[in-house]
Amino acid sequence: MDEVAETIFPKTSTPGAKEAKVGQFMTVMVNDCYTEDNQKAFHEGQAAINAACKKMHGHDFMKATPEDKKAVLVSLDPEVKEYQAKRKEFSKEQDDLEKKAQANGDTNFERKTMPDHYFTMMKQLTILGYFTSKEGRTGATRYEPVPGKYIGDLDYKKGDKIFTGLN
Amino acid sequence: MEEQFDAIVIGSGISGGWAAKELCDKGLKVLLLERGRDVVHLKDYPTATKDPWQFAHRGEMPPSVLKENPIVAKCYAFGEATEHFFVKDKEHPYIQEKPFDWIRAYQVGGKSLLWARQVQRWSKFEFDAPARDGYATPWPVNYDDMAPWYSHVEKFAGISGNKDGLENLPDGEFLPPWDMNVVEKHLVEQIKTNYPDRPAIIGRCAHLTQPQDIHIQQGRQQCQARSLCERGCPFGGYFSSNASTIPWAQKSGNLTLKTNSVVHSIIYDDKQKKATGVKVIDAKTKEATEYSARIIFVNAACINTNLILLNSRSDRFPNGLGNDNGLLGKFICFHNYRGSISATYEGFENFQTYGRRPTMIIMPSFRNVRKQEMPFKRGYLVAFTANRYQGTGYDGIGTELKDSMTQAGPWGIYMMMQGETIPKETNHVRLSTDKKDDWGIPQLITSVDYDENDELLVKDFHEQGVEMLTKAGCKNIYPRDSKQAPGLDIHEMGGVRMGKDPKTSMLNKWNQFHNCPNVFVTDGACMASTGTQNPSLTFMAITARAANHAAEEFKKGNL
Repeated sequence: MDEVAETIFPKTSTPGAKEAKVGQFMTVMVNDCYTEDNQKAFHEGQAAINAACKKMHGHDFMKATPEDKKAVLVSLDPEVKEYQAKRKEFSKEQDDLEKKAQANGDTNFERKTMPDHYFTMMKQLTILGYFTSKEGRTGATRYEPVPGKYIGDLDYKKGDKIFTGLN
Repeated sequence: MEEQFDAIVIGSGISGGWAAKELCDKGLKVLLLERGRDVVHLKDYPTATKDPWQFAHRGEMPPSVLKENPIVAKCYAFGEATEHFFVKDKEHPYIQEKPFDWIRAYQVGGKSLLWARQVQRWSKFEFDAPARDGYATPWPVNYDDMAPWYSHVEKFAGISGNKDGLENLPDGEFLPPWDMNVVEKHLVEQIKTNYPDRPAIIGRCAHLTQPQDIHIQQGRQQCQARSLCERGCPFGGYFSSNASTIPWAQKSGNLTLKTNSVVHSIIYDDKQKKATGVKVIDAKTKEATEYSARIIFVNAACINTNLILLNSRSDRFPNGLGNDNGLLGKFICFHNYRGSISATYEGFENFQTYGRRPTMIIMPSFRNVRKQEMPFKRGYLVAFTANRYQGTGYDGIGTELKDSMTQAGPWGIYMMMQGETIPKETNHVRLSTDKKDDWGIPQLITSVDYDENDELLVKDFHEQGVEMLTKAGCKNIYPRDSKQAPGLDIHEMGGVRMGKDPKTSMLNKWNQFHNCPNVFVTDGACMASTGTQNPSLTFMAITARAANHAAEEFKKGNL
């Protein structure tokens, strides 16, 4: 997963996701904090990325150049958008069913959910994992665990790194 | 030899800590009973200075924990860094006749370690409103009775704030205020232009912006704007029983603190016609012990105070201590937190904020303040903040996404309501007749719900909030109703209310039972109405006032 994470957040003048051990973090989070549905979707997604890479470049994702890796992940975009729209629609349908059940006094109604799209999860985990890692937080943001004061009108110019704290 | 105490205080949270401190300061020998473990300031804050990468899940809780704890999992402050300060659902079951999220913290300091630390005074309008509008029983105290006690606790606890001169949110004893940021200042000005009767101020909060001698004597230091308060503060920057009142009381030499002491009931002596002590079950060994004292303060936190009193049955009081009128456990009320609004503001891109401020912008209630004028009863306080989002955009991947996410994004606004709820007899707690907890104490049944008035408040807040933000130039304005159950506000009040008339109330103006005057109730349970302000400051002031009265009466031999 380090390779996927690094493609989402590559090394620039600041550390990349690989250096921040985001792959390892993703594995922990998926195993410990994700529902079975989402775990399944996530693992199927790893295989799907590899398959997409083979189709596009004729070899495994691990062997691809950074540019080719990016092309594979970018190619997922239309599918992700379509899936998210479907998921939103599904959630709305469930809202309606829930309302109907409530109106009929049906207390046995159990709401169903669609898992997140695997790439949405990978992107979210990369961002969370990167900015909560030592390398990401201290390397790519202005980390101030003990600010000492609050200033409400500090100058900012486009490109300035954000301030972050302990949480 | 049996230990001798002048007073027993049940519970070491925000009000119990104050009762203990005041009674000890007056020279009484005090036994402070806490059902949970000890939490010693500084020593027992294991996560206080941890970096995010030192948590396996970076602050999130695994679903197994969330599934096992559906109630406490809803609390905003519950997470990997704080879970050790919260009661887990399974450990202390109760029965929800109607949904009620009862958030509990069983340890020395109780919820004073975890509270949101906002401390707005009540004004004369809140104390006088029940008598004026008739929606609750009249208060036996007014603002003038309370003002010196507000000052008393503010000076010791350390409250930051600005003297704003508002009649319906009186000024207090303030340390320097926190700053409003540029966008908040702009919004406050815009709202004031459009609505002259809706001033908004920087919130008053229990944080040391400039420690005074009294705070240095407590060993506390300036707040460092970390905003990680729920982990316990390594600087003592905010007020808690652990950082302030309990160590202070211990220094007097008059305090005995007993932990793992679950109070089963208060013992009433039919011959002496007064309470003589308490029955305690050891949380670990389950062994029962009795302690006696001339004065008893019940500060177990609103719902548990009701439970203990309901379980304090004697020949004289077969339905719970002092419960001649049958009202004990009734008129439970809380704060309506359901409504919130999010929005964005375009502009001020040349500014950012530094540090994490522990308070919000506060707009005191502007409905039914001076007279009944709306189609609903009472009103709500509005609180809001503006902060820059992280990232200028979330699309794509690679260098551009990374660059975006390390920069400050647009300004986002978050606005919330804190609505008064109307005390009703139907909103009550009572004891289960067949289910007991592990300590042989009957389980509690909660039967508390919203009503039509609460729905109208949410609706009015949404309408007014959206209108204020629209006129102030905000965009992407989205109102939201969380529909959260009562209890999750963690502002539960009532059940043992103060009042002038023993037929309609339980406690007199000094928080003594009308019919058992050596027992005092000074936590949220004593409240006759809720106001729209954050309640803890009023609990503290009312406790200090009652404790000083108790000490005086004790010395005169009247108690």
